[in-house]
Amino acid sequence: MLTEYDRERYDRQIMIPEIGEAGQARLQKAVVFIAGAGGLGSPVALYLAAAGVGTLRIVDNDTVTLSNLNRQILHGDRDVGRDKAASAEATLARLNPEVQLQCSAETITAANVVDLVRGSDLIVDALDNIETRLMLNQAALNLQIPMIHGAVDGFDGRVMVVLPGKTACLGCLVRGKPQAGKFPVLGATPAVIGAIQATETVKAITGAGRLLAGRLLRYDGLALEFSEFKINRHPQCPDCGRE
Amino acid sequence: MAVNINLHKTHREYAGGREAVAVTGTTVGACIDDLLRQYPGLRERLFDKKGTLRNFIEIYLNNESAYPDELKKVTQDGDEIHIVILLAGG
Repeated sequence: MLTEYDRERYDRQIMIPEIGEAGQARLQKAVVFIAGAGGLGSPVALYLAAAGVGTLRIVDNDTVTLSNLNRQILHGDRDVGRDKAASAEATLARLNPEVQLQCSAETITAANVVDLVRGSDLIVDALDNIETRLMLNQAALNLQIPMIHGAVDGFDGRVMVVLPGKTACLGCLVRGKPQAGKFPVLGATPAVIGAIQATETVKAITGAGRLLAGRLLRYDGLALEFSEFKINRHPQCPDCGRE
Repeated sequence: MAVNINLHKTHREYAGGREAVAVTGTTVGACIDDLLRQYPGLRERLFDKKGTLRNFIEIYLNNESAYPDELKKVTQDGDEIHIVILLAGG
């Protein structure tokens, strides 16, 4: 139920025919799980909070470091040394006090990932390593929750939407688990990719438009080009192939 | 079969700076063999010491994922192959 405050606060997006008051009400009821409060998680959480998503569940076990600050815009110099989850909660609460925030400094593991995401309407993959991304992918498949995958490196980024049982999942794309490590990144790269993930999240909740499902969108910031690859489900996929 | 292989930007320095290389072959694997004949320096970028495609390399044939069994996929005249690097950062 939208109040007069809501109608004014979200006026510019309620004006969009594909959203309208009905779409805004869906956003208000939605529960979105964001894995990671770093480079990607920052713009995703900020735009979803600003858009009036009802509940944001954010999990990140890390603390803020000085070298995070070129891109992780949920946090500032005063947050260095603080849990990213607590810092994110404070920033988002200032941005939009209407949003219910459930921010946790837990580590996502194979043992707890299903419990962490259970009850969410949507999962946003804003992680920084393949191993945990594949755990999240498996939980999304088990619980049939759509997942918005995003990743960045340098000037490059990518986004893909996983609709469990319908489209390719991360396991249909990833051939192994490369070693996680320190990666270079321009701050604006996760801003571009995170904004697209937030767009796909709003579309998935409101039913607007056509999702990036089964399509891998690639962003090359150096050439300033977007390109797209089709990703098919494959029967031997270790994650969704046995469904 | 004339096929075009589009290289990832991090691989271009091993191919004389080229963004794309014309090759011949009737499978993706044969096309990549021809690429490596022309630019041997790319081998260790794409394959490990056992000759297995590295786990962060992705291959697309005509803008569609070729995974799994990428190297066995049949190619035709005019096909486009893209060699891409998996991204994992966030």
